[in-house]
Amino acid sequence: MRHDTIERSVNLMMVLIILAVSIGGLVELIPLMYSSEANEPAEGIEVYSPIRLAGRDVYVREGCYNCHSQMVRPFRSETERYGPYTTAGETVYDRPFQFGSKRTGPDLARVGGRYSDAWQRLHLQNPRALVPESTMPTYAWLEDRPVDPELLTAKLETLQFLGDPYTDEQIASAAAEVEGVSEMDALIAYLQGLGTNRRNRR
Amino acid sequence: MPAFWHWFIAIGTVVFIIWCAWLISWSAKQGPQNVADEDLVGHKWDGDLEEWNNPAPKWWLYLYFITIIWGVGYLIAYPGLGAFEGALDWSQHNQYEAEMAAAAERYDPIYEDFAAMEFEELSRHPEANQLGASLYASYCTTCHGSDARGAAGYPNLTDDDWLWGDSEAQIVSTIANGRVAVMPALAPALGGDEGTANMVRYVRSLSGIEEADSGAASMQPMFVALCSACHMADGTGNPMLGAPNLTDDVWLYGSSSDAIMTALVHGRNGVMPAHGDLLGTNRSKILAAYVYNLSAAERQAD
Ligand code: HEC
Ligand code: HEC
Ligand code: HEC
Repeated sequence: MRHDTIERSVNLMMVLIILAVSIGGLVELIPLMYSSEANEPAEGIEVYSPIRLAGRDVYVREGCYNCHSQMVRPFRSETERYGPYTTAGETVYDRPFQFGSKRTGPDLARVGGRYSDAWQRLHLQNPRALVPESTMPTYAWLEDRPVDPELLTAKLETLQFLGDPYTDEQIASAAAEVEGVSEMDALIAYLQGLGTNRRNRR
Repeated sequence: MPAFWHWFIAIGTVVFIIWCAWLISWSAKQGPQNVADEDLVGHKWDGDLEEWNNPAPKWWLYLYFITIIWGVGYLIAYPGLGAFEGALDWSQHNQYEAEMAAAAERYDPIYEDFAAMEFEELSRHPEANQLGASLYASYCTTCHGSDARGAAGYPNLTDDDWLWGDSEAQIVSTIANGRVAVMPALAPALGGDEGTANMVRYVRSLSGIEEADSGAASMQPMFVALCSACHMADGTGNPMLGAPNLTDDVWLYGSSSDAIMTALVHGRNGVMPAHGDLLGTNRSKILAAYVYNLSAAERQAD
């Protein structure tokens, strides 16, 4: 059999395997990098304000994405509960994006404004104070951790370097903006902004 | 996406499929320069385990071809080849719109019939209440509790005491547009710690929890000056502002001295978020009627 030829030549086999494995990715991924739908911000989407950016990083660090997705799929059962479905253009400033693939808790893509700041704070301090059957961990200690202004400034500079439209003034004033702001405050600011660009459905 | 990339996808996919088909059929054939079927491939394991150079089983080979045929059929029927939209004209967006339209056709008339009903009557309608209960379970339990009895800062919806009013318009507006209560931190204006403590006792005396001593009673003019704009001079509150009645035994944050002290020192900012975007007008009314009915028992008892 001719497959013998391929199997006996490690180099040929390697080339063919690489070709077979990569072509799908090439065809699916590379064009997306040039798609305006995926690269340009959707209506109402702006870069994260410094406080919200700090909150986003708390969200990533604490692994909230292990239990919460941030992608409303285009099904009625989802849009009824969470709001309009997510589009690619809404996540252009998410590095990395927080789509997630597990929903132990609800999707958070449009949680902004659904609850009050006070609710979010109490809920993060002790979820069971508000939802007795909740399995979400407590994050009370975020209250005692201040946001690091230097780290935040460095992050903003990096994002600006990568092409996010932060202005120099925004970066210069970021450190002062987060003075006295705890990681809890920043996380709440982040949550309260999620998905607020598209609320209207009816 | 520029046209180039559509072609890149389409040509890349088609060429790759053809190549896969060719590679599989090529390698499955007997080649002249290769060893014959009966020959061993030359590997030897564990001393005497050897391998024939047999062709792959037919069913295995056919699986490959079936997969390829399936893929071609899929690419003809559904969008996959660049800008080609597929013979079935299917799209994720269209499917969603169709699902929504089907649901609207089925449910909208029900909602409309309910929404056209008179509010009191709607609030006693068993099916409307079932609908209201399921809406309540999806959107409201996280704050007002699954029994609707609330918690500190989250009002009890089963009592007939209303912060923001109990008319149809008021309840619908509470649900659809939300409410923001503003109780400013007024302790600095009350004359230091002693004045604040006296005011706490004065507030408690309004509902008869404790007797007003002379210190507390002396705060009465201060109450009229500072608090009556929202709570009224007699402390009975104002539903326009969501300012609670301080003379009854229903408390939003609790009747303890500590809770009242916190209101004076830090202020209070209860927020009921707007739900109109999620619910729409008809369902806001159905839910309002359900909420109104939760306190029907207490209303009748009065
Ligand atoms: C172990 C899994 C788990 C982790 C980790 C987790 N959550 Fe949750 N979360 C839940 C569950 C379950 C619920 C639903 C019950 C409740 O409301 O507490 C929930 C609810 C929520 C809600 C309310 C959403 C809604 O629409 O009702 C928010 C907001 C939230 N979580 C934020 C966070 C944030 C921020 C983090 C990270 C700091 C986090 N969660 C981490 C499990 C988790
Ligand atoms: C600008 C209007 C305003 C003024 C002035 C005001 N209040 Fe309030 N007060 C409110 C509102 C609105 C609430 C409800 C807060 C909420 O729902 O979060 C409230 C809540 C309270 C509560 C908590 C009631 C409960 O049920 O838990 C107390 C106690 C209270 N006020 C006392 C006072 C006193 C004493 C003064 C004067 C020193 C005062 N308020 C002045 C608007 C006002
Ligand atoms: C983020 C938590 C939260 C959610 C979610 C929420 N509420 Fe509220 N609701 C509140 C708070 C807090 C108040 C009291 C506002 C104030 O302090 O005056 C309130 C007030 C109300 C009132 C006015 C009560 C009165 O005495 O006048 C009604 C009615 C009400 N909510 C119904 C609902 C319904 C129905 C839903 C579900 C669609 C809902 N709420 C969801 C927090 C919430």
